[in-house]
Amino acid sequence: MESEEIKIGVYVCHCGINIGSTVDVEQVRDSVSELPNVSISRDFKYMCSDPGQALIRKDIEERGLNRVVVAACSPRMHEPTFRKTIQQAGLNPYCVEIANIREQCSWVHEDKADATDKAVKLVCSAVAKASLLEPLEEKEVEIAPRALVIGAGIAGIQASLDIADAGFQVYLVEREPSIGGHMAQLDKTFPTLDCSACIMTPKMVEVERHPNIELLTYSKVIEVGGYIGNFNVKVKKKPRYINMDRCTGCGLCAEACRLKGRITSEFDVGMGKRSASYIPFPYAVPSKYTIDAEHCLFLTKGKCGKSPACKDACTADAVEFEQKEEIVELDIGTIVVATGFDLFDATEKPEYGYGLYDNVLSGLEFERLVSSSGPTQGKIAIGGKDPKDVVFVQCVGSRDKSVGNEYCSRVCCMYTAKQAYLIHEKLPDARLTIFYIDIRAFGKGFEEFYDRVREEGVRYIRGNVSEIIKKGDRLLVMAEDTLLGEPIDVEADLVVLATGIVPRADVRELMNLLKISQSPDGFLLEAHPKLRPVDTASDGIYIAGCCQGPKDIPDTVAQAKGAASSAMTKMSQGKVKVEAIIASVDPFICRGCGRCVEACEYGAPELQEAEPGILVSEVNDSLCKGCGACAVACPCRAISMKHFKNEQIFSQIEAVI
Amino acid sequence: MNKGFEPNIVGFACNWCSYAGADLAGTSRIKYPPNIKIIRVMCTGRVTPAFILKSFQNGADGVLVAGCHPGDCHYIAGNLKCEKIMDVVKRLVGILGIGKERLRLEWVSASEGGRFADVVTEFTEQVRELGPLSGKSQG
Amino acid sequence: MFRKSHFNIRKFIYDAFDKDMAKVVFEKVGIWDCTTCSACLNKCPKGVDTVGFVTGLRQLMVEDGRIPPPIRDALKSVSIHKNPWKIGAEERSKWAEGLEIKNISEGADILYFVGCTPAYDARLQKVARAIVGIMNKAGVDFGILGNEEGCCGSEIRRMGDPWTFEYLAKENIETFKKYNIRKVVTTSPHCFNTFKNEYEGADFEVQHYTELIAGLIEEGRLAFSREINKTVTYHDPCFLGKQNKIFDPPRKILASIPGVKLVEMDRARERSLCCEGGGGRMWIESEDSEDRLAKIRVGEAMCVQAQILATACPFCLLTLEDVVKTEELEESIEVLDIAELVIKAL
Ligand SMILES: Cc1cc2nc3c(=O)[nH]c(=O)nc-3n(C[C@H](O)[C@H](O)[C@H](O)COP(=O)(O)OP(=O)(O)OC[C@H]3O[C@@H](n4cnc5c(N)ncnc54)[C@H](O)[C@@H]3O)c2cc1C
Ligand code: SF4
Ligand code: SF4
Ligand code: SF4
Ligand code: FES
Repeated sequence: MESEEIKIGVYVCHCGINIGSTVDVEQVRDSVSELPNVSISRDFKYMCSDPGQALIRKDIEERGLNRVVVAACSPRMHEPTFRKTIQQAGLNPYCVEIANIREQCSWVHEDKADATDKAVKLVCSAVAKASLLEPLEEKEVEIAPRALVIGAGIAGIQASLDIADAGFQVYLVEREPSIGGHMAQLDKTFPTLDCSACIMTPKMVEVERHPNIELLTYSKVIEVGGYIGNFNVKVKKKPRYINMDRCTGCGLCAEACRLKGRITSEFDVGMGKRSASYIPFPYAVPSKYTIDAEHCLFLTKGKCGKSPACKDACTADAVEFEQKEEIVELDIGTIVVATGFDLFDATEKPEYGYGLYDNVLSGLEFERLVSSSGPTQGKIAIGGKDPKDVVFVQCVGSRDKSVGNEYCSRVCCMYTAKQAYLIHEKLPDARLTIFYIDIRAFGKGFEEFYDRVREEGVRYIRGNVSEIIKKGDRLLVMAEDTLLGEPIDVEADLVVLATGIVPRADVRELMNLLKISQSPDGFLLEAHPKLRPVDTASDGIYIAGCCQGPKDIPDTVAQAKGAASSAMTKMSQGKVKVEAIIASVDPFICRGCGRCVEACEYGAPELQEAEPGILVSEVNDSLCKGCGACAVACPCRAISMKHFKNEQIFSQIEAVI
Repeated sequence: MNKGFEPNIVGFACNWCSYAGADLAGTSRIKYPPNIKIIRVMCTGRVTPAFILKSFQNGADGVLVAGCHPGDCHYIAGNLKCEKIMDVVKRLVGILGIGKERLRLEWVSASEGGRFADVVTEFTEQVRELGPLSGKSQG
Repeated sequence: MFRKSHFNIRKFIYDAFDKDMAKVVFEKVGIWDCTTCSACLNKCPKGVDTVGFVTGLRQLMVEDGRIPPPIRDALKSVSIHKNPWKIGAEERSKWAEGLEIKNISEGADILYFVGCTPAYDARLQKVARAIVGIMNKAGVDFGILGNEEGCCGSEIRRMGDPWTFEYLAKENIETFKKYNIRKVVTTSPHCFNTFKNEYEGADFEVQHYTELIAGLIEEGRLAFSREINKTVTYHDPCFLGKQNKIFDPPRKILASIPGVKLVEMDRARERSLCCEGGGGRMWIESEDSEDRLAKIRVGEAMCVQAQILATACPFCLLTLEDVVKTEELEESIEVLDIAELVIKAL
């Protein structure tokens, strides 16, 4: 390395009177002027102003300064400004050091002599570090113009459509045979009561037809390597045992299947039955059949009658039992995670008798029951009769420490109101009672909808239900009306539990795969709760929909659009700057122990075989975030942290005491 | 004013939480003793034992390391790694006769300007009570 | 409907926010109605320590000397006789006369902690003897404390006297230490619960006798020789079920008795209905005049055509059997402890 003579210019700012009134700026200027390497020391009213910056640039040009110290406000404020300033004058932007004599000195101390003393030390520290500063290189990496979207509920669908419409290639991975997620299971949607299928089907079809979207259904992401711009992704496609090109979706196979009507339908949440060869719901996308390897006689027992009935029935010759799982490898620029939620399992609240009584349903089961595409074609009958009394219980599994969910699920107040309304439409004589703790009708049109439901005669009783027991053929719902302070019992033919939204059971697997984290409630964690709601701690990975926390469809769609736009912004930039302040390994000192690999949260250091049998760590510039943990962990001090080298900090320690 | 012993305190604060918290104490004009001088690091996970020992060796009477609360570290768990290392260093400074009380690890978030000032004030007082570490430092 | 009491814990808590606590208690009815069964505690979505609150209020009353006479007598009895039943400590081991049970001072693997009610109550003594008989058959090495045994304090604590409880706990722990006792088996879920969850500094293992017997059956150490051709239902005692999640061992025992047809009531396991015997309620009647829960419970058992209502708690046995007697249902249903059923079938 060439060794040039270090010439430092020190600029002490008055910041009007913000610094000047407590710190004797002139004295600071003079006390540091004689320090080694300092060639000029000045003070100025406002260093960040145009004339202030011009002063620095002029000195660089005229006096050949190659390092600059600015004693002013916090570096968190103007470090970027001064980096630009010196860059304009031809210096490397990392050759400036800031002494924070405002926020951490003049504003927090009163005694002028003390404050001035401290300011001098802080400037000395900055000068010491500046003498050892090294120019850093800001690298850029290209971003592949291809996005991966994981999960094809309404969030994933919307994000995919937006990204694809902007001209980028999208790979949409869905683990079920069809896209659609929970929204496809809903009947009508609050507060407007539009039919879920009617507003969703066009979007699903658009996804299928979109030239920029490649749909990978019945598939799972199994490996994610690399970093923003260059993720290497592996997707496992499960065999459907049906040739997707040949299958016409006629359903003859399902009709013929020997297990027809014997397997519980996941889509109908256990309320309907299907065959081993099935399509989850009539308007599924893709509209192709799948043979369920877990149940299919031929696939589990090796034998289905004389020959598989489905194969015999299929006129398109689409049944292919020889299909194997396939691994697809993708190079991806950005990732949107939209894996949604699981429904709270109400058996965790035994007092409600869910799972014990057939006429106690979860919210989602009721959606299927009331849906005209559901197992009963929308007929609500209990034991063959119209229910006379229906009771709804809100907050089941939400806001409940006894099951470990402290949060509000945000949709059940409204979906309960909606469901009550739907029953009222179909069975105007049914008496409807809703037990609630609070009504959260915060969204657009929500309070109005809640009022409308009450005006229809639905009885709202404030109080948590304590238990539900059998009374003859009916149920007895017991609670306290907390507004009246009196116990109340309501008999019911049907009880619907407003089961809440919980994180996906396999969320950990996903977190490990993508190296992202979860918040205390178990949902995926955003980078900032207010200002970066769709970003994650990993660059280039965004989250949308209920995987980030409970929300309704409008909020899900809005967040999906946000995540899509973040992904698109990065991809349209084409390149991304990688952090310059990173770790670097001296291969001659490194002895390949791997401590750095253990210490790093981002998988940046990797042991490479430098020579046969000799391992040496190498840090991937694009993955390193510059935290410094590896440097501390390295027993040989082989790792140095750019801009925060040991010697640089040692020199600051010496100067500051 | 009668000035007795004024301790020298070196602070290491992480860029994302505690350095920002210290800035907030400034923006809110909350006062605290001037004895502490802060050296910025990106994360407390960057603080190696050598920084602390070097500080004491050069005449610091106290060292404060401040980072994000557990769970808030910008680099996921640098603060927890630091906590582990700090346990060892504390034992070490105990053995060396410097005294564990002169080394402190604190969590201060970016929104805890008041807490930053409180921590510094309290720690300064504590070190003042302990007296000078070596003959070298004086007011 | 099925509501026993005007006791409303929320009203107590709200009032306690800004009023003198003790005053709150004195003005309101129902504070002695709570059986501390923990049904509400388990369900409370906000994790409020309701039971702690009730016992805290009772403590204020005890401190203030405003105790209903039966409670006062029970507390006094514990101080004098180390049992709440007002019978001398020297009579504690009378139930065991003629049984030749080893005293724990001779050393044994297990201490059988009989408990006050099984030791003194004629009906419950049968249960204690049954448990002894079963352990003997299985060759379990056990001993008892005899007259040295003292009240576990569980009910005392719940009647609002934590001081006596602490004293009893300390004394029991010391006694156990003296004989180097590693494992304690109890008759009562109440003793079991307090040993397991409330004895600070206890370093011995605790088992309810149903756990022990279920284990013995599983290990093949008990062989049944008689059939009991009856329909049996099981009432989960709150202190065993709700509070300690021991639901299966009692059921396993019943299911393994030849001939027994085990049926479940609607309210089973976590959903079980309290018999009203806990929380000091053995010593004081409810201020309300509604039906007793035990009566409802017996009704529920009859609904599932049970001929035997089995349970595994001294208090449950007494409260449930009392209903059968007062309602003259002896012809239709019998209340028995699981231990009694087991010994019959051996
Ligand atoms: C009973 C009920 C009624 C409701 N009613 C309404 C209403 O009326 N109005 C309203 O606005 N909102 C309503 N909601 C809320 C609404 O359902 C959600 O806002 C919406 O479904 C969230 O969509 P999502 O895409 O985030 O999640 P999901 O719909 O859960 O979609 C996630 C998708 O990701 C897939 N997936 C998961 N993990 C993986 C993986 N690892 N790999 C690949 N794919 C994966 C899933 O199979 C699924 O297709 C209701 C919710 C419930 C429970
Ligand atoms: S092989 Fe048999 S069981 Fe399997 S899908 Fe075809 S018909 Fe159904
Ligand atoms: S949305 Fe309503 S019902 Fe659902 S958890 Fe929140 S408050 Fe309870
Ligand atoms: S500095 Fe931090 S992010 Fe970079 S390699 Fe080291 S441990 Fe990983
Ligand atoms: S960034 Fe603050 S401690 Fe790691």
